[in-house]
Amino acid sequence: MPAASLNSVGLSLNDCIKCNVCTSYCPVSQVTDSFPGPKYAAPQSERFRDFGHPFYADGAGPISRTLAAGQMPDASVDYCSGCRVCNEVCPTGVRIAEINARARARIVEARGLSLRNRILGRNELLGRIGSFAPGLANLLLHNPLSRRLAAALFGVAEKAPLPRWRHETLSRWLARTRAQRLRSEQKVVYFHGCATQYYEPFVGIAAILVLEHLGYEVIVPPQNCCGLPMLSNGEFGAAESHHRRNVARLTEFVDAGYPVIGTSTSCTLTLKEEAPELLDLENDAGTRALKFATWDIFEWLRERLDQGRLPSDLRPLHQSDQPFILPYHAPCQLRAHRIGKPALELLARIPGLDLRESHARCCGIAGTYGYKTEKYQIAMDVGAELFDYVAAQSPQSDQDSEGSLSFTACDSETCRWQLEHGTGLPSRHPIELLAAAYGLYDLHARRQANRN
Amino acid sequence: MLDLLVIGAGLTGLFAAYTAARAGLRVRVIARGAGSTHWHAGTIDLLGYLPNGQDAVANWAQALPELPPAHPYRLLGVHAIAQALDEFQRLAAAAGLPYGRAGAATAIDPTTSNPKAERLSQRDGPAEQFDDLNLGQNAGLVSPVGAARPVYLAPAAQQAGILEDDRPLLIVGLDGMPDFYPALIAENLQRQGRPARSASLPLDQLTERCDHGPLHLARLLDRPAAQSKLTEMVVDVAAAGERVGLPAVLGLHDHARLLKKIHRALVTKDPKTSQSQDPHGSVAAVFEIPTLPPSVPGLRLETALRARLDRLGVRVEIGMEACGFHAAGRRIEWIETETGSRPLRHTARNYLLATGGVLGGGIYADRRGRVKETVFDLPLTAPQTRTQWLRPLFLDKRGHPIFQAGVPVDRLFRPLDQSGAPVYDNLQAAGAILAHTDPIRERSREGIAVSTGYAAANAVVHGR
Repeated sequence: MPAASLNSVGLSLNDCIKCNVCTSYCPVSQVTDSFPGPKYAAPQSERFRDFGHPFYADGAGPISRTLAAGQMPDASVDYCSGCRVCNEVCPTGVRIAEINARARARIVEARGLSLRNRILGRNELLGRIGSFAPGLANLLLHNPLSRRLAAALFGVAEKAPLPRWRHETLSRWLARTRAQRLRSEQKVVYFHGCATQYYEPFVGIAAILVLEHLGYEVIVPPQNCCGLPMLSNGEFGAAESHHRRNVARLTEFVDAGYPVIGTSTSCTLTLKEEAPELLDLENDAGTRALKFATWDIFEWLRERLDQGRLPSDLRPLHQSDQPFILPYHAPCQLRAHRIGKPALELLARIPGLDLRESHARCCGIAGTYGYKTEKYQIAMDVGAELFDYVAAQSPQSDQDSEGSLSFTACDSETCRWQLEHGTGLPSRHPIELLAAAYGLYDLHARRQANRN
Repeated sequence: MLDLLVIGAGLTGLFAAYTAARAGLRVRVIARGAGSTHWHAGTIDLLGYLPNGQDAVANWAQALPELPPAHPYRLLGVHAIAQALDEFQRLAAAAGLPYGRAGAATAIDPTTSNPKAERLSQRDGPAEQFDDLNLGQNAGLVSPVGAARPVYLAPAAQQAGILEDDRPLLIVGLDGMPDFYPALIAENLQRQGRPARSASLPLDQLTERCDHGPLHLARLLDRPAAQSKLTEMVVDVAAAGERVGLPAVLGLHDHARLLKKIHRALVTKDPKTSQSQDPHGSVAAVFEIPTLPPSVPGLRLETALRARLDRLGVRVEIGMEACGFHAAGRRIEWIETETGSRPLRHTARNYLLATGGVLGGGIYADRRGRVKETVFDLPLTAPQTRTQWLRPLFLDKRGHPIFQAGVPVDRLFRPLDQSGAPVYDNLQAAGAILAHTDPIRERSREGIAVSTGYAAANAVVHGR
């Protein structure tokens, strides 16, 4: 391989051989003319944006130089959803999605950030505010009138699948169940991410129960947003301060040699790669240490499986002798880790599970993208490939198939919400399925199983 | 543990994986990016030009002795190549994408059921290639600029584009579609003495989109309403007796239906359209001409291969770039691919290298003149210095030495070291990465891919 230079995002455009593979796969340009496709938006347009290139002599960072008139990235780059399918299929390793993310940041730097995008980037703050009074917050947000208002005033799509605040955040559950938590010499750190903390604490509960079942003590240190929603919306400065705060908070555990395990594929991707690469922090020692300590939970579990250290007491997910049909969609953010689809290897161990792998490229939502009024329909059109795939798995639509289809599985939270929105079926994180198969977790009620 | 890890997801890697999985091996495919099937014209070209040859090869089977002795085809021989092609035709037919020898009338008519394709789709069908008296016979198909492409196997959709056919040609383009120029094609056909003219159809009646890339159009033409509209427009411009060539965008998943629709409409308008001097009688009145990438016929082929692999339980993982490996003696123990964090280890009993040549990324050449095989750093037959890479003339008939650089192998497709001994016992190489062939210039890309992929996979199967 050619030696990759550090901060290789911008330079990687030189590796583009114009083969159009990215254009063939791009799920967004397939459904809209608003986005001209990865090849045009990234490696080709980037050539005309000759400012702030790390290669340029003055050494200015990619977003720190003042923009000159006429060098502004074309606004169409904002229609890139950042799903990274282009990166995945590119045969020469061009960092297409990252080039687009940087172009967006330049636009934001020059023109400012809309209030809507600033709010969507503040997932954590929203979570914290709402969880003071979750009942009231849900009431205020989840009613047709306020959704219409939010659409009219801020441009937050009326029908997009917003989550609900939970009465008990993950931190509160941990505090309440402190006495029951496992103490052990073997320790791991759990990075829950904002969505698990405020909207889906049960995913964190399932993860902690499985890790404890393997004999590990789970440390959940104070942590904040990984910064990805800000990176996606071009707000690099705020993203950097969030990332640096996480590095500071996790350093002592990383230095102690504990793995940092996450259930949110986009958070772990940000810790591993997006923040270091986009924010030019690849040479920052703390960032590098955290990058190499971070694991997707199934990536880490697959290693236990390969070492023969995974408990084998997995049981069928339901009583019936009919197979349990489970369409599994590996989200783009997970595929961008380039670790394969480790959840498939673990879930395949569950008896009676008819596991089906989706080859759909993207569910469409792409983090905050599908929540924007002007992009909602694009996100739904992109997702149609996946929704149709799920519908085709139902025993009603497939004569040869037997069993029951009551859930889908996907590793990423916003993708699960979009899947539920697009298919009408409840969606679960694979860790919830694994926890249920270990008898630790109630898949329907989404809570710890009653121990008899 | 995996029996075989295939590195590379082009035609070579996918077909090798299929061959091994069909024989019962546990197989996985990993690749840095999507395979180069997106660039393929969708035909299986065996050998179009010989080194130093001026004219197109009429029969590749008869031309094999003229290739250099170390050429992969010479390692295989006609029999082994024909066997691989048979297996390929079986796979394609079973996947609903039948291929036939270009110019063999049996596979042409899309309106009648095709007994040859049906026989081929059965597991233990007869060896078609050997029954074919015209084994090795190339035919000329219309290229995107109207030149003749020497082709051996062609998908049903391209069969009626054979130049040897004497029916007049109407080349129909779509207004606003990039890189497809019907007037240019027709003019070049006329220069070769073919009766040809061109026409162009407005796209605004089919779609409101502005982006008219081949793939957008193909997805659009999967829809029944668009199929009907296009059929109507094509019949309107076609004159009596003309066969119609359209860009290869007639559907990604459902092109057979649209071809049939247009064929029937043309024949209804004028029954003579489907008659030629060919003794086999009725032939298609419409055909596809491949376009610049992304190439829809190549994508159809990839989709068919991936669907077969899926059914055989073979996972294809894209986005995995090899960054290291470990060998103990002459055995490769594992390879590693880069991830967002730590390298990912892949372990298998056997490894098959199908990463392609310089274009596919299997061989990397830097500006200092260093040429390197990218996964295992295997010995290459490459010019010593950069000044020897290229000849002065861009279109030199002999090609350029750098493009013949590759991995030398033995008859079991094991890469060899300088002394001629296998470098590793559990490593095979196949496809465009092989030395002593220049697949683009020879027009042998798909033939090399199918025949060496098949042979290398079988070497693993039989070596177990």
